[in-house]
Amino acid sequence: MVEDVTTGETILEVAQFYELVTAHLESAFGRRHSMWVRGEVAKTFEKGHLYLDLVDAGSASADAKRPVLNAHCWTSVWGPLKRKLAADGVAIKPGVVVNVYGYVDVYAPQGKIGFTITAVDLEGMLGDVARRRAELIARLGAEGLLETNKSRALSPVPLRVGLVASPGTEGFSDFTGQLLSSGYSFDVQLVTTLVQGDQAPAQIVRAIAALDEQGLDVIALVRGGGSKGDLACFDDEGVARAIAAARTPVWTGIGHTGDESVADLVAHTRAITPTKLGEELVARVSQWDQRNLRLPAQRLVVGLEAVLDEATQFVGERRRTMIFAVRDRLRAEQRHLGAVRERLWLQSRHLLDAATISLATTRQLLAAYDPARRLAQGWSIATRADGSTLRSLADVEVGEELTLRVSDGRLGTVITSKNGDSA
Amino acid sequence: MTTDWNAAAEELNAIVASFDQGEVTVDELFAKLERATQIIESLEERLTATKAKVEELAPRIAKVAEGD
Repeated sequence: MVEDVTTGETILEVAQFYELVTAHLESAFGRRHSMWVRGEVAKTFEKGHLYLDLVDAGSASADAKRPVLNAHCWTSVWGPLKRKLAADGVAIKPGVVVNVYGYVDVYAPQGKIGFTITAVDLEGMLGDVARRRAELIARLGAEGLLETNKSRALSPVPLRVGLVASPGTEGFSDFTGQLLSSGYSFDVQLVTTLVQGDQAPAQIVRAIAALDEQGLDVIALVRGGGSKGDLACFDDEGVARAIAAARTPVWTGIGHTGDESVADLVAHTRAITPTKLGEELVARVSQWDQRNLRLPAQRLVVGLEAVLDEATQFVGERRRTMIFAVRDRLRAEQRHLGAVRERLWLQSRHLLDAATISLATTRQLLAAYDPARRLAQGWSIATRADGSTLRSLADVEVGEELTLRVSDGRLGTVITSKNGDSA
Repeated sequence: MTTDWNAAAEELNAIVASFDQGEVTVDELFAKLERATQIIESLEERLTATKAKVEELAPRIAKVAEGD
């Protein structure tokens, strides 16, 4: 420090000047006088520490005279803060309006007044994110885009699957594991994308559009669980509009425990995890399989057995019926013939007996008329010379010789007279 | 032999019915029995052949039904 010899005023060296300014600033705006400043992030630079330029929200970047606050956040604060911001799905990036807490400092080598950030209004940032998310959902709803993809017809057997995912992640493995273990022949067309970070939305949009051109049954968008920040890409408006615009049903399996993502709301079908999404896809195919293949096959098997059993029973019964019917019929005939035979036998016996009796009677009758018997009783038979039997007086003449037959021989005689019975 | 199962079964039923109703004379008995036997043997042959085909196909259908 020197003194002007003419005026007597103190002349400061540059360093002394900054020491003085710094001392005054610190006494008024230093660490012990920290304050909140609201500004829009104009640009950022991160190299361990975070450097950012804040301007008044809404001010034109072309305005060369707009005030700029060069702020910085040292690693000791920025490290944990960055992780917290990421976990909550917010980022300090150009365009974001942020409330920062800190104090003024002076960087003498560049002659700059800066602002050291010691805290960020996370609640405010989250509120802003939530507000923008709600606005997006309302906008999509007003345009009817929340229902557009839901109206897409889903194949009854969605085996051709377009997959938007990041191979090697748990979400990818969980989803594809369900398809592989199902036993069904899923044909998976994979388009690899980032599933978090600033680059993810554009990649996801391109992937959905590319798969939509392939005429697949369904497009699956999967990602395992993560922080809000990790899942922020699924709240992206471009992703939501790509899903809505797809002609193919888009199914989402984005792991989350809190709010559903905007992608979930726009999607045809959503599941709370990639695993659940895989299960639902398999279940859909399985339902078709059961309804159209397995149950008809089971009914066919049962029906076959029933038809064959019925036919077998029919033929068997008819066989037995025929055997019994014929046997009964033959037995009936045998019984009938036996009865006839018996009747004929009895009738024959009767006839024979009657004939025998008749014959005996005749024989007795004949015996009564036997000439030998008459001769023995004293009767005789007279015969003429010609052998004719004498029956009347008129048959002979007096003097004619006759032969008389008696029981024990013959006698010769001559007719001496004729006298009638009336004499 | 009638090739249609139902027609054959109806003819067989008619023969059995004629026995049940006592309409069969001794002269007709042999002819009807012979015809019934022909029908039964034919039906059994067809049934056996069908069963063999079913035995071959049923396991394949069962695999579908069981979801193997």
